[in-house]
Amino acid sequence: MSTIVYAARRIVTMNPGQPFATHVAVREGRILGAGSLESLKGWGKFDLDERFKDKVILPGFVEGHSHAYEGGVWKFPYVGYFDRTSPDGKRSAGLKSLDEVVAALQAYEKTLPRDGSTLLAWGFDPIYFTGRRMNVADLDKVSTERPVLVLHSNFHVLNANTPVMAKARITRETNVHGIVKDARGEPTGELAEFSAKYLAYRAAGIELADLLSDEAATWGFAKVAQLAGVTTATDLHNPLPGGTVDGYVKASSSDAFPIRLLPAFAGASVPTSEAIPRLRELMKKNNERLRFQLVKLVTDGSIQGLSARMRWPGYYDGTPNGVWNTGPDELDKMVLDYHREGFQVHIHTNGDEASEVAIEAVEKALVAAPRWDHRHTLQHAQMADAGQFRRMKALGMCANLFANHLFYWGDIHYAKTLGPERAERMDACGTALATGVPFAIHCDAPVTPIGPLFTAWCAVNRLTASGRTLGEAEKISVADALRAITLGAAYTLKLDEELGSIDVGKRADFAILDDDPLAVPSVKLKDVGVWGTMLGGRIFEAPKA
Amino acid sequence: MSAQIPFTVIGGFLGAGKTTLLNRLLAGVEGRRFAVLVNDFGALDIDGKLIARHGGDTIALANGCVCCTIGDSLVETVLKLLERPETIDHIVVEASGVADPGRIADLGVLDERLSRDGVVVVADADQVRARAADKRVGDTVLRQLQAADLIVLNKVDLADDLAVMRCWLSTHSQAPVLEAQHCAVPLDLLFGLDRRGASGKPTPANSFRSWSYSWPEPVDRAALLEVLHDATVLRGKGIVRFRDSPDRRSIVHQVGKRIDITDGGPWSDTEESQLVLLGVRPVLGSL
Repeated sequence: MSTIVYAARRIVTMNPGQPFATHVAVREGRILGAGSLESLKGWGKFDLDERFKDKVILPGFVEGHSHAYEGGVWKFPYVGYFDRTSPDGKRSAGLKSLDEVVAALQAYEKTLPRDGSTLLAWGFDPIYFTGRRMNVADLDKVSTERPVLVLHSNFHVLNANTPVMAKARITRETNVHGIVKDARGEPTGELAEFSAKYLAYRAAGIELADLLSDEAATWGFAKVAQLAGVTTATDLHNPLPGGTVDGYVKASSSDAFPIRLLPAFAGASVPTSEAIPRLRELMKKNNERLRFQLVKLVTDGSIQGLSARMRWPGYYDGTPNGVWNTGPDELDKMVLDYHREGFQVHIHTNGDEASEVAIEAVEKALVAAPRWDHRHTLQHAQMADAGQFRRMKALGMCANLFANHLFYWGDIHYAKTLGPERAERMDACGTALATGVPFAIHCDAPVTPIGPLFTAWCAVNRLTASGRTLGEAEKISVADALRAITLGAAYTLKLDEELGSIDVGKRADFAILDDDPLAVPSVKLKDVGVWGTMLGGRIFEAPKA
Repeated sequence: MSAQIPFTVIGGFLGAGKTTLLNRLLAGVEGRRFAVLVNDFGALDIDGKLIARHGGDTIALANGCVCCTIGDSLVETVLKLLERPETIDHIVVEASGVADPGRIADLGVLDERLSRDGVVVVADADQVRARAADKRVGDTVLRQLQAADLIVLNKVDLADDLAVMRCWLSTHSQAPVLEAQHCAVPLDLLFGLDRRGASGKPTPANSFRSWSYSWPEPVDRAALLEVLHDATVLRGKGIVRFRDSPDRRSIVHQVGKRIDITDGGPWSDTEESQLVLLGVRPVLGSL
């Protein structure tokens, strides 16, 4: 029963009774106490470890909305606009033009065996390029022998080369939704939604989702999360087929696995009558680093994908309203079924009509089956307004807001999808705080990179990629943002009694930082270095790039 | 071309009667192996005695049909089905209550092993207008009706004013409408004749029939299309020699309002133009 006391430059505890400390004592993977060295001596014999004496320790970051695919995508080359870090800590430089993307793909193609196998790349984000869109000819420069597929950062659109288009016999005569055609009526090689999914399947031979969520992907995800100071992360929507579950169980049973993983069962993938017993069975496999307990439901699509369900007056540019993945009636029924059985439901809502429908589904479930402390959570809730936050508060709901969107798509929302007023109040952390709705902020990796300090920076500064401040009134303080990425997120996962703050009895899960996020200028918050993490008393140093 | 598997999508809002229709299909089919893809087995009314094998997400029936649950990915479910060894004569997908069935039918266009057949939308005669006026789901319901090649207007016995209903429907969709109670409509109309051109069970309770035509001389395209667009023609299938392309076989495939004409290779002088129509009354004399 050894005890180690770690000394730090500063410890930010999230415990209001003692917000800051210089030492934390760890025993059996848990926090024995925090305070001064003097105040900890009474616990008996200990070893003093001073390796973090220049570091700043925070509770381990909790990512409440990410996907383990983040670990799988790194099997493939990244061709996005922004720099991004892979699980091994290597930084991929962002590609700033179409030519750079093609050149990077050509170089990568030369490293592949000449066997006609598929070249798949991901993260492509043409919205930041001026001029023309990518087309078949661009990717034919990469190869006319092997299929080449470039997935966009949203994972719903892709570009293909001639071999892919030819195999699927897509020509100017193919009249299918999602096939983009040029002014002359020729397919450009860009495909969306259903068509994209189909082509990816045919070209790669398997469903992408399976490819991205095996045991290796789970490890990759844990590592990329750990690099960002994350000690607990969700895989927030997975139908959890046997192979994926096995991968999770195997990976998480290793002491070297650096995070606590919470997969959320895709609640609409099978009828609730099958899902509930299945989820109960899965919960028997839970261990210290793996928790089955969450259910995820998806109402609408995405705002930038023009598939969000919006209330009046709808899209700023007049695009018709989006689509339901789960319609209002079915949502009512599913929420009630899971709610009645004691589960916590996380509901994806991007548009404000979707948020309204989800709030009402929870309201109806509460009338039918009153229940305390359910903490049903709206995920994204990007367009929720003050009235909706007041309803969430009254109903005991939580929100997990997509702060990273402000940076990555804020300019598009301002100019095209939402218009100035609604763009300035989107991902309304300030309103959540003012109305008292417990909230977290998230990245939705791999849609945007995992990095809670960056996410906190977004919520604090609300700067878009072009440098516009999007909604002064919704900014929150650094302290509030740090709470949202630790205890706040833990609360939305019902783990706040176990982790999320540095408090006696809680798990020794820490983010170990090079600098004090409360002392640096708030615009530098995203640049605070992550030395590594501690998970249950075990130290994980991040590899240096 | 004949190796392609017809791909039908059944759409319609929650509660319209999609499952009732599928139950009728599974109970009434003869001589054809249907693969029916549904969201939930539980809703299907499958006689336990008819189940040959139950394997998790697939049920094999004694009559050769299979039912599969769609799970999380329709694309994956359909493509895995196509890789199965057993022969399938027809694939029917039950769209979710909020899906656009036209989008799902695109899969029948994209995959060379499939041929897009009809989009059949089931509408509840008593509820559909109220649903279409709903601020949250109205646009979804109207998109479904617009995507329909054929509409089954179900529960007509429950509708307050059928005449008004018919009129309303005609302003929201060009598709022919089959009125029904408990989805009792002839399966041939929805799923076509089998590959031998033979009809399934006769359905004496209704006035639908099939007619066969053949012409030794080339046919005028515009004249034929005009006839096919007649509201009483609900299905058509044939190989035609058009006057404007006398050297080619033109394959005509019609489901309700949708008429596809595709090229079927060079015309051989030993054959005649042939067309089989399903409909309410004979409309073709000579062309």
